[in-house]
Amino acid sequence: MAHSPEEIADLEKKADVIRRNIFRIFESSNLGHCGGTMSLVEIVTALYFHHLKIDPNNCDWPERDKVVLSKAHAAEALYAVLPEIGYVSKDNLDKYYSFRSPFQGHADRWCTPGIDYSGGSLGQGLSFAAGMAMAEKVETTINPPAMPVAQGFLPRLIVKFSPAYRVFAIIGDGECNEGQIWEAAMFAAKYKLDNLICIVDYNKFCLDGPVDQIMPIAPLDQKFKAFGWWVKEIDGHNVRELVDTFDLVNNLYGDGLPKCIIAHTVKGHGVPVWETTHMHSGRAEAISIAVKEGRKIYG
Amino acid sequence: MVKFNKYVKIGQPAATTPGAEAAMVKVAQKYPRSVAILEDGGALALDWFKANAPNRIIECGIAEANGAVIAAGMAAQGYMPFLYSFTFAVIERAYNQIRQSILVDRFNVKITGRDGVWGEMGISHDIVEGIGCTRVLPNLVIINAADVVETEKAFIAMADYVGPVYFRMEYTAPTPLRIFTDDYPFEIGKAYMIKDGKDATIIATGYLVTEAIRAVDILEKDGIDVGILDMSTLKPLDEDAIIKAAKKTRAIVTAENGTVIGGLGEGVAGVLSRNMPAALVTVGVEDEFSQSARLSPEKDELKDLFGLGARDIAISVKECISKREKMGLIRK
Repeated sequence: MAHSPEEIADLEKKADVIRRNIFRIFESSNLGHCGGTMSLVEIVTALYFHHLKIDPNNCDWPERDKVVLSKAHAAEALYAVLPEIGYVSKDNLDKYYSFRSPFQGHADRWCTPGIDYSGGSLGQGLSFAAGMAMAEKVETTINPPAMPVAQGFLPRLIVKFSPAYRVFAIIGDGECNEGQIWEAAMFAAKYKLDNLICIVDYNKFCLDGPVDQIMPIAPLDQKFKAFGWWVKEIDGHNVRELVDTFDLVNNLYGDGLPKCIIAHTVKGHGVPVWETTHMHSGRAEAISIAVKEGRKIYG
Repeated sequence: MVKFNKYVKIGQPAATTPGAEAAMVKVAQKYPRSVAILEDGGALALDWFKANAPNRIIECGIAEANGAVIAAGMAAQGYMPFLYSFTFAVIERAYNQIRQSILVDRFNVKITGRDGVWGEMGISHDIVEGIGCTRVLPNLVIINAADVVETEKAFIAMADYVGPVYFRMEYTAPTPLRIFTDDYPFEIGKAYMIKDGKDATIIATGYLVTEAIRAVDILEKDGIDVGILDMSTLKPLDEDAIIKAAKKTRAIVTAENGTVIGGLGEGVAGVLSRNMPAALVTVGVEDEFSQSARLSPEKDELKDLFGLGARDIAISVKECISKREKMGLIRK
């Protein structure tokens, strides 16, 4: 079902709230991975405020959809979302990078409600997400759901119309240089993990420069397809395209294919100085100039 | 006649792998969410899994980095994954994956590694550094059982413990003696005094406990009464047992199937120098790699090359006692 323009406009407004939360994080810390965080804003907004099955009152709900942020240096994008859902209080936005803060430098499952994966060492998140998706598959075979069986027929397949939970892995484009991403890609295809959705934040830049110069990964869609995945390329800043794609993926459940959404994004999206200078994980001065610029646009 | 403590009855050599296999079957039956994660290196009780729970066999192929993190992801959902392969593969090829994706969140993953200097396959597979490279990792328990009885009991204890464990198996070492009786109460983190002795204490782990027992006979002929402490848990080390032994004899010999650098030898040295200075001699591999050796007598030659046999331990005990006399340390 198509989403109304109002619905999309609401989500776009929500994305601006997330951006303002991110600015608040940077204002207090003057540190952070700004570029890779800003490129994720619409993706996390569409996920958390439109698509994910979550219970705001119960972070530990076993059937909650999981989000594995493999590029955990962009944890600020999730930190900006978590207070809006209600998993943590909003004053934590001023405690990023602080001692004993739930908002650690890299996403940390141990101390932050709603964070599913402690990342930071790149290339591992897709495997972790595949492990979680695998657990959901094995669970069905250990505890098969009771099914009415017509007389004279033997149940040949355990039919499931929706998984208990789905796992979303958000990986970076530079991260696709890691061999382990492709180990996980083979694994997910082998075990038909159609409850696993990998979102590539294809923002075209690494720390050292453009991805296509550092270590080219194109054509990424063909690579995932060759590994046996369902692939779709979208504009990662277009909220309508994001929600439509998530809905589509939802309807494809049961086809036995892991899903890869290649989201074309702009590193530092929304703040011109970040978009043009590529000061993506800059330090104090550069950050404060950029945040001021962002505040002028988004308030 | 050598007098051993309770729960010890020295028998014929018995391979440890059947103990681990039997334990794995019991564990797999007890915990329906235990899964075997394979990395093209087989698994313990694989036949049982094939016959009874094929859905709990997860084959990752030759991709150890992925295998370790798949295990972590399943553990995050309440599963108890068992990884099994050579230590160089299951641990070292996935070292940061184990650190970041398993240990940081203390996921309930059990890693069994085929470790130790003895093996047929040469320098790549015969690992000297297995203890050292894992002892430095926070949140990880390390177990190295001495015989078939302890292997079975320790393996079950590992499953009952909630958290990551490295279970070191020296499957290509010479076959160890049967040491313990069936009612031996194994406990993680507790070393067991196999034999008391007033002149010196050998602190050994894994297969080297067998060599230590053989060293007792050699030393007895010279009138030396030596104790043996089985350090089956390498992390956390049983500091109380080490301090107690050091207080009694002030002469400690450690013995391990691997390099003493970062291994049991240095672990015990740290405990001693912090708590109870004692004369110390470390038996183990020095700063070098291993090589191929087929069945005995070639394995005995490898034993002699690294100085890991009963005779070497006996010589080390004598050296340690004379060291103690030179240092003027008094037994309490």
